[in-house]
Amino acid sequence: MAESVVRRGKAGLLRVGRRRGEQRFALALMTPALLVTLLVTLVPLLYALYLSFHKAEIVVVGGRGGLLTEFAGLKNYLYFLRDSRFWYSVRLTSYFTITSLLIEMVAGIGMALVLNEEFFGRGIVRALFILPWAVPTVVNARMWGLIFEPHAYGALNGLLQTLHILGPTETLNFLAPIPIFQNVPLLGEITSWLGATQGINWLIIGDTWKVLPVVALLTLAGLQTIPRELYEAAEVDGANAWQRFWLITLLRLRPVLVVILVYRTMELFRVFDIIYILMAYTIPVLAIETFRQAFVFGLFGKGSAIAFLIGLLILLVAFIYIRLIYVEE
Amino acid sequence: MRKSTLLNLLAVLILVMLAACQPAAAPTEAPPEAGPVTLNALYMNQAGYSDTILLDMADQFHKANPDVEVNFTFVKYDELHDKIVTSAAASTATYDVILLDLIWTAEFGHKGYVIPLDDKITQDIRDDIAPAIFDAFIYKGKTWAFPFLANFQCFFYNIDQLKQAGFDAPPATLEEWYDQMVALKEQGIVTYPYIDSWNQKEGLTCDYVRTAAEFGGDLFDADGNPVMDQGAGLKALQFMRKLVDEGLADPASMTTDEPGAMNAFVSGAVTFNTNWTFVRGNMLDPEVSTIVESARTGLIPPAEGVSAPAGSISGFQGLAIMANSKNQDAAWEWIKFATSPEVQGQHLESEFPVWTSVQNSEEEKRINPDAGFYATNLANVRHRPKVHNYPQVSTIIMEDVHRCLLGEMSPEEATADMVTRIKALD
Repeated sequence: MAESVVRRGKAGLLRVGRRRGEQRFALALMTPALLVTLLVTLVPLLYALYLSFHKAEIVVVGGRGGLLTEFAGLKNYLYFLRDSRFWYSVRLTSYFTITSLLIEMVAGIGMALVLNEEFFGRGIVRALFILPWAVPTVVNARMWGLIFEPHAYGALNGLLQTLHILGPTETLNFLAPIPIFQNVPLLGEITSWLGATQGINWLIIGDTWKVLPVVALLTLAGLQTIPRELYEAAEVDGANAWQRFWLITLLRLRPVLVVILVYRTMELFRVFDIIYILMAYTIPVLAIETFRQAFVFGLFGKGSAIAFLIGLLILLVAFIYIRLIYVEE
Repeated sequence: MRKSTLLNLLAVLILVMLAACQPAAAPTEAPPEAGPVTLNALYMNQAGYSDTILLDMADQFHKANPDVEVNFTFVKYDELHDKIVTSAAASTATYDVILLDLIWTAEFGHKGYVIPLDDKITQDIRDDIAPAIFDAFIYKGKTWAFPFLANFQCFFYNIDQLKQAGFDAPPATLEEWYDQMVALKEQGIVTYPYIDSWNQKEGLTCDYVRTAAEFGGDLFDADGNPVMDQGAGLKALQFMRKLVDEGLADPASMTTDEPGAMNAFVSGAVTFNTNWTFVRGNMLDPEVSTIVESARTGLIPPAEGVSAPAGSISGFQGLAIMANSKNQDAAWEWIKFATSPEVQGQHLESEFPVWTSVQNSEEEKRINPDAGFYATNLANVRHRPKVHNYPQVSTIIMEDVHRCLLGEMSPEEATADMVTRIKALD
């Protein structure tokens, strides 16, 4: 008995020793990648955090360039928190994010449901519908710029004229920064306050066109994990299509939807390319403000501070999503 | 992993961070170059001399100076400033020679990004370049770049549309211009007679400065104080707003940049466009223009009572040497070569030269029949303010002008707000 305990103890120790050896080997293999990640992610992040508490500008002294820093405490953060333009940017970015998310989620789930069904040529359609995602963001922005061009040679204006929806000399300025519903009392004031303009809405369409396939693809992956038997059982129990969608599909998609929501919120909150390329500074979303502070004004302290404020806002939204939607299996 | 390994890793990270956090180092002179030198030059591939011309210049230079090779990086104009600032942050510059837009003169001079060139520029050189051009690169009594591109705004119009409206000539004054726009609109010849680049970008600040120049004034006084809430600055914004309110300026102006405005003009959609010199080459190119026969260049009309024959805005660009470059002597040799009257004289069909003697040459008059208009517009340019925080000042101007043109503020409110905000800057 005592002998067997000793033997078991020895075997256990051997197992633990082998496991430790494996862990050490795995860590050794990962160390180079870990070091690179730390250097290119953590160090810049901590450095940006350091800068956000400083007044920082680039100077060249005696033939050597460098960053001159002066401790500023919370000044950079307070500057934005007290600035009405920053809060306007927050509202504007939130409007862009929420509206885009709504369209992406509804259309993405719809597309995924269709692609999940059996139909002729499904494989080809699944391969083709991902194409917009492959278009580089700058090319996508330029392409929509040509479509929205406000003169007769713009693609959309040309199409509307050809279809006689517009007269031969009539054109529309799609990207006009005019608040939507501006002549409707109260609603007009709200859209003005939000920065919800006709221009931003068309840009949302251009941006959504590009990212919709990836949302649909992720949703489709989630849909494929739902067992068919659940639907069959629900049908036997008399559940209609809406109930099956609401109580099975959507409920089972929750974990995937959280991932999509967090990922897309992060992306949308940082939107820059399409807005900057087509509208320059006319729609000052948060990423454009960050770029302006750091690289146009050369105020790297303020640029870092606003970047961390954006990060905090995204964290907050992600936390809310997880609390509201995520359920443990 | 052992505790000591983790501690070592942490120590390395802290050291790296501390090195990165180090403020500008103590003054030490960059050592001079020796032997073969590769000069890194930053240039834009958007307007001005094309990359083909630049590469040809570099080849010629290399043949004359076998020890020096010029290596170009071509970027969009919008990326130039960021690249230069990033290059300045390095202990040794990424680029030895940069293209410096005149609006960065004060900022780069103030922060020491580029070196003053005064001891290299002789009096006979200064005598052959108009003060209007050289002044743009002078800040606190020092010259920070050598003039390279004589970019400025001109007046472009469609003579056929004007004739249809009953006018034989372009407007001589701002008031005549307004009357012509009203006639063109009332007769239905065009929906909108005029387009400009009024989206929220540097172009809008330029157009506002130019309109103030047409009213014979500036947005800032001689001491650099903002005065746009009175005189020419206020009148200019009132005029711009009037053009929008009366449907004389194309509403697309508010979302259009300079190339976009040019596209509308060369498509025949509008009669007038005030824009940079690049428009001329495009409007006369049948590949891109539908108005080759009717497109004309003219003087930007000043308001009645203004003594100047035109009112324009400068967009000059110069070549400058980075202060943290190790190849400053070779950089100056390249600048001398690229900006020389001989080299500029080889490319008259591409750019208007900065040298007065070349501007007045028979060859220039033969190649560019509009050289006379160019010279007058150039002689009457106004500069944007030379202040070290120009990007912030310009942002305030473009934000308020844009809001005014969208009808969110009156010209009086907008100009008063500009003055208050600019004065409140650090």
